[in-house]
Amino acid sequence: MKAWVRLLLCGLVGAAIGAGGAVSSVRSASLGMQTMIGPWATGRDFGSAEASPYTRAVVALRGLLALPATEARYYTAITDDTGAPLEGRCSYRVEGGALPARWWSLTLYDPAGYLVENTPNIYSIGSVSLPLSELARWKLAIAPGQQPGHWLPTGGIDRFHLTLRAYLPADRGRTDFTAQQLPRITKGACA
Amino acid sequence: MINRWLWPILVGVFFAVAAWQVTMAIIPRTLMTLAISRVAQGGSLNRMVHGPLVTAKSRAIVRPSPDLLYSSCPFDVSRGPVLIDVAPIEAPYWSLAIFDSETNVAFVRNNLQTGGKPIHAAIALAGQAIPAGYQPVRVAGNRGAALVRVLVNRLAPIDEIDAERRQSSCRVAR
Repeated sequence: MKAWVRLLLCGLVGAAIGAGGAVSSVRSASLGMQTMIGPWATGRDFGSAEASPYTRAVVALRGLLALPATEARYYTAITDDTGAPLEGRCSYRVEGGALPARWWSLTLYDPAGYLVENTPNIYSIGSVSLPLSELARWKLAIAPGQQPGHWLPTGGIDRFHLTLRAYLPADRGRTDFTAQQLPRITKGACA
Repeated sequence: MINRWLWPILVGVFFAVAAWQVTMAIIPRTLMTLAISRVAQGGSLNRMVHGPLVTAKSRAIVRPSPDLLYSSCPFDVSRGPVLIDVAPIEAPYWSLAIFDSETNVAFVRNNLQTGGKPIHAAIALAGQAIPAGYQPVRVAGNRGAALVRVLVNRLAPIDEIDAERRQSSCRVAR
């Protein structure tokens, strides 16, 4: 094999591996992977010029037009508290309390980042819709079938993600919520 | 044998690193361009599009919040500054965020910061003149998106809030 052919071949293979690896890496990443707090992943430089190229690419794919930390903090869970993936055929109990933010909401998405089809069109639960008496201590069920109390339907999809949005965080987003402040996700029965 | 392949392998490693960096830089710009195109399908550039509450069928952006009403203006400042006027909205929270072509936040302001007053922002390139009464927001590239978020309770009527946010506008300065 001639020398220039070897150079060309290795150059092409290298470029393909580099570009493919970058795309694969971004596609397999979750929104905000800088810090893990239990099952919750978060980051502080969304929408910021200081964000690394990798963070910028992941945010563009997973949460384009996300707000900076001073305005909102985003926490994403793709597993329960034990580290097992969130499965749409299973039920979960999610319990939480007051969060140090002006308002918050918890939304269920499919792995591509879209809302999940369900008959009652329930996609989230948050401080705006919860009764005031429950804000200090709340719980909800995530399950494919209707549940008593607050319920987020999974639509029976294979896997799902949860995103907790906390708008106008108390310290302008400088610090992460603690494990005690973030909701707990406990797996129940599976169909 | 090793000598024959040493330089080609080094060239391959160099191209792999370079391709990684270039791909990472391209992804945000490409996805932003796609998002602008999707949003602009509801109208055109430099025009405020008032979207309905998102549902499972919504595909304009990933991870939309079902608790927000979105009004968006995909903008292009190549012909002059783009003026954004957001009227006050009787909602617990509303904000205007302006994103450049690299997905960076160039400007963000919420109702608590404005004290319930309107926002008048002019998106412009460096050197473009800003009309009086508008706060300049300088962006790096020609295109980007302005997004108005309005918090609503999906379980309550939203007609009044919807009517108020529809007074917000986006246009090229004359």
